[in-house]
Amino acid sequence: MPSSASASVSASVSVSASASSTTTTTSGAHSDLLTRLTSSESEVQLKALRELKNRIIGNRTKKLSFIKLGLVPPVAAILASKAQVQAQAQAQAHHESNLLVQSAAALGSFACGFDAGVRAVLDAGVFPNLFLLLSHPDDKVVDAGARSLRMIYQSKLAPKCDFLQEKNMEFLLSLLNSENENVTGLGASIIIHSCETTAEQKALCHAGVVKKLISLLEGSLSQRDNSLESLATVMKNNVEAVSEFVGSESGRALSSVIELTKDRYPRTRLLASMCLIVIRNTSACYLQDIGIKTKLVHLLLELHDDPGQVGDEAPFAFSSLISEKPDLQKLAFEANAIDKLYNHLQKSQLYPKRFQGILLALADLCSKLESCRSRFLSLQALNLVSDALTHDSSDVRTAACMCLRCVSRSIKNLCAGNFLNEMIVPPLVRLLDDPSTSVQVAAISVIGNIAVDFTMRRSLFVQCGGVKQLVQLSKSMDSTVRLNALWALRNMMFLADNVFKEGIFMEFTASSLASVICDPEPFVQEQALALIRNLVDGCVKAVDLVFTEDGMILDAVGRQLQNASTDEIWIQGMYVLSNVASGTEFHKEAVMHQLIPQEDNGTQSFILKFLQSNESQLRTAAVWAIVNLTFPSSPGSFSRLVKLHSAGIVSQIKSMVHDPCPDVKLRVRTALGQFTTFGDCST
Amino acid sequence: MPVRVAESSAPSQPSGSNCGQTSPSACSLLSVGQAFSGTQNVSSMQKDEAWRVNVRIQGCDLEHGYLCGTMEALNVPMADTPVVTFWEGEIVDTKNYTFFTGKWEATPEDDIRHWTKFPSFSALQSYVEVDGGKSLDLSNCQYIFMRWKEQYFVNVGTDCGLTIAGFYYVCFSCSDGSINGFYYDPNSSPFQKLELKSTNEGRQGFSFSSYELR
Repeated sequence: MPSSASASVSASVSVSASASSTTTTTSGAHSDLLTRLTSSESEVQLKALRELKNRIIGNRTKKLSFIKLGLVPPVAAILASKAQVQAQAQAQAHHESNLLVQSAAALGSFACGFDAGVRAVLDAGVFPNLFLLLSHPDDKVVDAGARSLRMIYQSKLAPKCDFLQEKNMEFLLSLLNSENENVTGLGASIIIHSCETTAEQKALCHAGVVKKLISLLEGSLSQRDNSLESLATVMKNNVEAVSEFVGSESGRALSSVIELTKDRYPRTRLLASMCLIVIRNTSACYLQDIGIKTKLVHLLLELHDDPGQVGDEAPFAFSSLISEKPDLQKLAFEANAIDKLYNHLQKSQLYPKRFQGILLALADLCSKLESCRSRFLSLQALNLVSDALTHDSSDVRTAACMCLRCVSRSIKNLCAGNFLNEMIVPPLVRLLDDPSTSVQVAAISVIGNIAVDFTMRRSLFVQCGGVKQLVQLSKSMDSTVRLNALWALRNMMFLADNVFKEGIFMEFTASSLASVICDPEPFVQEQALALIRNLVDGCVKAVDLVFTEDGMILDAVGRQLQNASTDEIWIQGMYVLSNVASGTEFHKEAVMHQLIPQEDNGTQSFILKFLQSNESQLRTAAVWAIVNLTFPSSPGSFSRLVKLHSAGIVSQIKSMVHDPCPDVKLRVRTALGQFTTFGDCST
Repeated sequence: MPVRVAESSAPSQPSGSNCGQTSPSACSLLSVGQAFSGTQNVSSMQKDEAWRVNVRIQGCDLEHGYLCGTMEALNVPMADTPVVTFWEGEIVDTKNYTFFTGKWEATPEDDIRHWTKFPSFSALQSYVEVDGGKSLDLSNCQYIFMRWKEQYFVNVGTDCGLTIAGFYYVCFSCSDGSINGFYYDPNSSPFQKLELKSTNEGRQGFSFSSYELR
């Protein structure tokens, strides 16, 4: 691997470097290095390059300090000045090669695992010159160039290679066909970094890249690993590539990847399992055998024990294996995955990426199965996850929220009030102010779930200022934030007592509620209406709230029912009217006013359209409104029935007596039963 | 609803619309947020007694035949406050669950003995006796048969002198939202009858709320 290769080169010069660092001060050494790198004597340059490289390997602080001192451009200049020199005397050529090897290695070291280093190298304009080294006659120079480029390609900052251009594809194939292991590795790195679209995947398949990568599975350790990772990239979500791979050599390629899950090297085992996961996730018909599924679960859980990069990546691979798949989540549960992940979570000083990965893996495990959530809660894992809400890394904070969101999908635990407490709510509410939008949205999502607390401890949100913030966020410029904030408030409003509802209403104001009902985004409109629907449920007094400010909220609901164009919006809006119609006479008359406009301008009432809709839930909501408007014990029901009859609504209801939806049919019967209590007026 | 611990007596001897293979369709009266109230007869050889009971549906997942909610017993003699329990329900949809309980100490005979207490079950009985009703299509049935099992006490400790060891055989009427049930616990009085009606909480009509977990 690139990093170990550099390390071995540096070993030979470590003595002189440490001697140097003891005799000069740090800043003195830096300026001295700069002078020597720009010296006219190549011997001085060579020594300076070796010293520089030796000092920055594995030391981010040094790398950053040298980048700031401007040491990357002179190194790039040395490489650029020698990269194009061709025919020379042998002795001189040897010397020049050394300069190339050392400058390339120094640049690679700057770039290795350090984005600021990659940026500095790219800014120095040396990227094309590094490619020139690949055609150098000296193999050592080729090696150094390839290693350095691979380090750059490990960063997201590296330029993408456009495979759709023929010359780029030819170049890539020349790399993959090389005898040099570092060069084929570079080819693989370019694929892993650059292949993103289905069109690119297909272009690579058509150029024979899958076959070439399969042949590299028989190669050295590094070629195998590179091949596995590239194959996963080319096959991800690409049914055609998976089919070519699985069918290749009568299934021998697939068998060899399965075999590699037993390899002695953890990284190979991880990459082989990731390749298999990609195959299964892309084409569910493959790898359905319970044996292989169980093996992958156990292998990935075991790889979490690796102290290095493999252990950092294992949780992500595990997540992609089990995500959205209850059968695999069950297997993982049976393999004691919750306990194993919890044990890792308990370790102090977890590297943020690993911490994030474990939280996400726990989130996926708890996303569907109640057995997993119960085990998670019984381990007191909630304490560790709530601590993670205040972690320095925004990725960890987001992952902690996602974990909490999945665990809190448990109605059983929501009913027990297991989430609404001082340990969880205050830090979550603070995250509503987080500078990262993704953390904000993730935090709102948890609040949305735990707000459905059935023990009525929702006042905790008010005390922490959570309601006030959610109301503010429901007016955000970002529609995802608005959507989630309204959804959380909707859940908070579910079966809430009147005092709590009034509190939210006062915070919101009638005019703001009326304006979110008419939000430009349909999915926001739907949540706003669902919120109002819950507001006017329960105590009849709550219905009065939508009549403040001249009934502007109810008017806004009526306008949306007239103008909107999705069933989901209509269903929520119709339930608002239906719930209001279950209130007092005044409330019922106000709904009539929305259903049957006063001026007869020939427009058909929207409820007729809803009663004829193909969406049974919309028909149900509409019939319930009619049932409520003609409720037998209400004094004004008869006169409303007459108006409904004149508007053609009664005859529409009668025509629905054999509705294909049993629920609609029964509600229609209820309505017709009520009509008959008023005699013949409806006929 | 919890019952008093130690009222042991053996179950009595069994007494007794073609609901047309899919799940029961959604019934709006059995949706989340809906409330029911009524009584549970807890009479024993010694005395006649009925407790007032309120039920609220808190979760419903028809695809998995799952329903859950809370049950509040109001005039429980030994308790200072109403006793609230959380229950989970299995909907008999012949896909996720059949009429045979297969657990909670209920044999197929116990099952038949209880289901036959519901008049609406008579048309199904011959099919159920064969295989628990696996071949039945209940999608158009006006009744939804369920088992409700209390899982924990929400507001009192387990040392309250009450037990939730048993479970209910339940029949829900989709047309009017009424619920009938029979509590089964080999260690409690047999056939304690639960009778509930849909409530509209002082409204002149029906009201529906909703929530969504993500």
